[in-house]
Amino acid sequence: MMKEILEMAAASAEEAELYRVRSESSEVIFEANRLKSIDSSFEEGIGLRIIKQGKIGFSSFTDLSQPRPLVKAASDSAQFGQKAHFHLPSADGTSSVECYDDSLISLSLEQMVREGRKAIDLILKEAPFLHCEGEVAKIEAEISILNTNGLSHSYKKTSYTFSLGAFLAEEGNFLGIGEGEASVKYHDWSSSVAQRILEAFRLTRKKGSISPGRYPVVFTSKAVPLLLQSLKQGINGKVLQKKISPLLGKIGKPVVSSFIDVFDDALFPFALATSPVDGEGIPSRRTPIIEEGVLKNFIYDLQTAGLMGTESTSNGARGYGSLPSPATSNFIVKEGKVPLQEMVKDIKEGIIVDQVIGSGQGNVLMGEFSVNLDLGYKVENGKIKGRVKDVMVSGNSYTMLNNVLALGSESRFVGTTRTPPIYFKEINVAG
Amino acid sequence: MKSFLNSCLERVKADYLEIRYEEVKVVGIHYVGKELEAIGESYGKGGGIRAKSRGGWSFVSFNDLSKLKDYLELATKEAHLIKGEEIKLASLPARNEVISVEVELDPADISLEEKYLLCNRYNKILLSGKEIQTSALRYADIHTTKYFINSEGTYIEQERIDTVLGMRAIARRGDNIQSAHMGIGGVGGYGLVKEKAEQAEETVKRAQGLLDAEPAKGGKYTIIVDPELSGVFAHEAFGHLSEADFLYEDKRLQKIMVLGRVFGPPGLNIIDEPRIKGEGGYYLYDDEGVPSQKTYLIKEGRLSGRLHSRETSAKMGEEITGNARAISYDYPPIVRMSNTYIAAGDKSFEEMIEGVGEGIYVKGFHGGQTNLEMFTFAPEEGYLIKKGRLHHQIRDLNLSGNIFNTLASIEAIGNDLVLFTGPGGCGKGGQSPLPVSTGGPHLEIRDVVVGGK
Repeated sequence: MMKEILEMAAASAEEAELYRVRSESSEVIFEANRLKSIDSSFEEGIGLRIIKQGKIGFSSFTDLSQPRPLVKAASDSAQFGQKAHFHLPSADGTSSVECYDDSLISLSLEQMVREGRKAIDLILKEAPFLHCEGEVAKIEAEISILNTNGLSHSYKKTSYTFSLGAFLAEEGNFLGIGEGEASVKYHDWSSSVAQRILEAFRLTRKKGSISPGRYPVVFTSKAVPLLLQSLKQGINGKVLQKKISPLLGKIGKPVVSSFIDVFDDALFPFALATSPVDGEGIPSRRTPIIEEGVLKNFIYDLQTAGLMGTESTSNGARGYGSLPSPATSNFIVKEGKVPLQEMVKDIKEGIIVDQVIGSGQGNVLMGEFSVNLDLGYKVENGKIKGRVKDVMVSGNSYTMLNNVLALGSESRFVGTTRTPPIYFKEINVAG
Repeated sequence: MKSFLNSCLERVKADYLEIRYEEVKVVGIHYVGKELEAIGESYGKGGGIRAKSRGGWSFVSFNDLSKLKDYLELATKEAHLIKGEEIKLASLPARNEVISVEVELDPADISLEEKYLLCNRYNKILLSGKEIQTSALRYADIHTTKYFINSEGTYIEQERIDTVLGMRAIARRGDNIQSAHMGIGGVGGYGLVKEKAEQAEETVKRAQGLLDAEPAKGGKYTIIVDPELSGVFAHEAFGHLSEADFLYEDKRLQKIMVLGRVFGPPGLNIIDEPRIKGEGGYYLYDDEGVPSQKTYLIKEGRLSGRLHSRETSAKMGEEITGNARAISYDYPPIVRMSNTYIAAGDKSFEEMIEGVGEGIYVKGFHGGQTNLEMFTFAPEEGYLIKKGRLHHQIRDLNLSGNIFNTLASIEAIGNDLVLFTGPGGCGKGGQSPLPVSTGGPHLEIRDVVVGGK
């Protein structure tokens, strides 16, 4: 079927490409401490990209049995489309990666229910007044890319997510703690995720207070992605091409503290964004972004690379419903040597940031952030005193990443970002 | 479609069953800077089934309608795996309705070339300013036909056309990069986005103006918010807390959110009203087939109602409101807002500024979020108020407050209600963006925390 659609499209265009996604997922959902819903989804869709008279055309469909309108819409689109600065790739191999787990396919709904139930029971045993909600989900997707330059590739991918939230509404003191894990592979996360929620919950039982000012701060792995938003935008080839990246002209120059290494790594075993090829069929790779604080690379898809006179870094990200665009895959901040407890011990007066609200508002591109501290702790004389709330923390993420005191010794994935906790010289607290 | 869906539904046994099916056609145009990043038409068709057993739900979404019978069986099987306390739904008379769309200037009658030329013209304006570095423009017209059928005999077919335009100008001076945004559109035709060159010019001016603004200083301030932010405030600082799915199973939260509780001054009224034609949150029936209605969330300062689905309404024994909405066929309906606004009061903007003395005037929407106790919202522009007059411009502000205190800190309510819709929308439970409108009059609020240096 795909070959026929491609041939039909190729009849009126110089080059054509089909990108198809088929996925099946199952999800068990807990609400108010009980199993509430069991959901499934069966999705499929196809995107057609063509180069016609040198211009890019695109359209997408969910109904594969009706290819003619798809081909016509792509052709109409190419009349106005952007000039193509690339050719679709021919088959030049794929990278060997681990992005599929057989054991996930045979994982039963009953077992997913049992593990979710177990995690909630662990939490309620210690804190029966908490309200828990959770989702355990497995997804299997098949991605196929086919183009008129001879590339034909199809691969399967799995993912498994286990996420849990605990909520407590007390007059003047609401609390919400969210924790989760996600990976290509199945693993029983019930105890570790429940334990992380309980550890956070215990710390919140005491109250800390802080007066406005500047303080040393530790961001947990869960909170660090807030500070990486600006960097992820700054290294994006498209942002560079529009000349709005603050990292413009900084290749080879120090942009963050000298002991920081950052990679974009679509080869990382069993990570969520791991795949043999990117959305355009370019073999996946590991791209150094920052080495010893020095900016090494921007990330590109084919078109952006063409516009900038460089090569794709295999970062053409897409779903079936859109054209590729540069985006990070697995974004890895290399761990350091300092355990989290040592960082806390070092602080005379400061805070730990774990969850915020209001992230992504404001001038992210320039690194500015200003957020409400949803879950955070006061540290006094090397000890955690208790929860701090009703304050805003703000700063500039580039400035902070230039004032790193220590990188944590243990990394973990939060979505597609893998990072250790990070200890910074200072953050501004208002409230 | 009706007889096909009905024939599939009849074969399956469950406590409750519903099928939603949607056909969507989208025309989109996307500029970033001078490059046209995307243009053209896309089509989507798909459905979602909800089945309820005595004690649990199942939701199954799909694209391939020919397998509907299999999916219905799967949904009922999955729902029956859940054993628990009985889930009840508020009762509802069966209905049969076919609602076709009526718009002036149906976007389907406008050629792709004409749409392209319009966007191209606006984009050129966005790029025309002296220190403008780049732009972003998104146009979309979306034609949706929704089919709804359930095992209680209700069948509803609703057609809808949304036309939206978002324009952003990004100005740069050295390391200082600032952006200004304008969102236009809603439920309606092509006329909503025509002749907006003036708005594009104004967006450019705002972005350029921000280059001269000074960074905000953190602290507690009395603020005056413009109608656009007033709407965000109604939505973030209160609206979400009145969504019953947050509290219908939580006795502690129900005690805190007891009807009649005083939240704000006697002149404060917050309303959710789906049936305002043209607004983003307009609909006649929600995604459970419940007719929409106007709901007072706060009346004269007191908590007076909340937003319900059939399940939350039955559980709490409160009147059904028709607020169960899904962003598309592949999501189940959950409790959502529609068009949420603060009703007008009696103060003029000028009286307010004079009355404040010292504070900050904030305008335009850059984002907002809540965790049900605290909220944040980011304005696009801010001005210091000194001695009752607007002083110099400030930038990079994010405001935060406690929902329970902040509504009570409303000192004055303006006489100038405006509603805003746009290409963005609201996010909840992984479902984003849902089209909504928000609005209000100018408001004066004490003790709002401003993050900053």
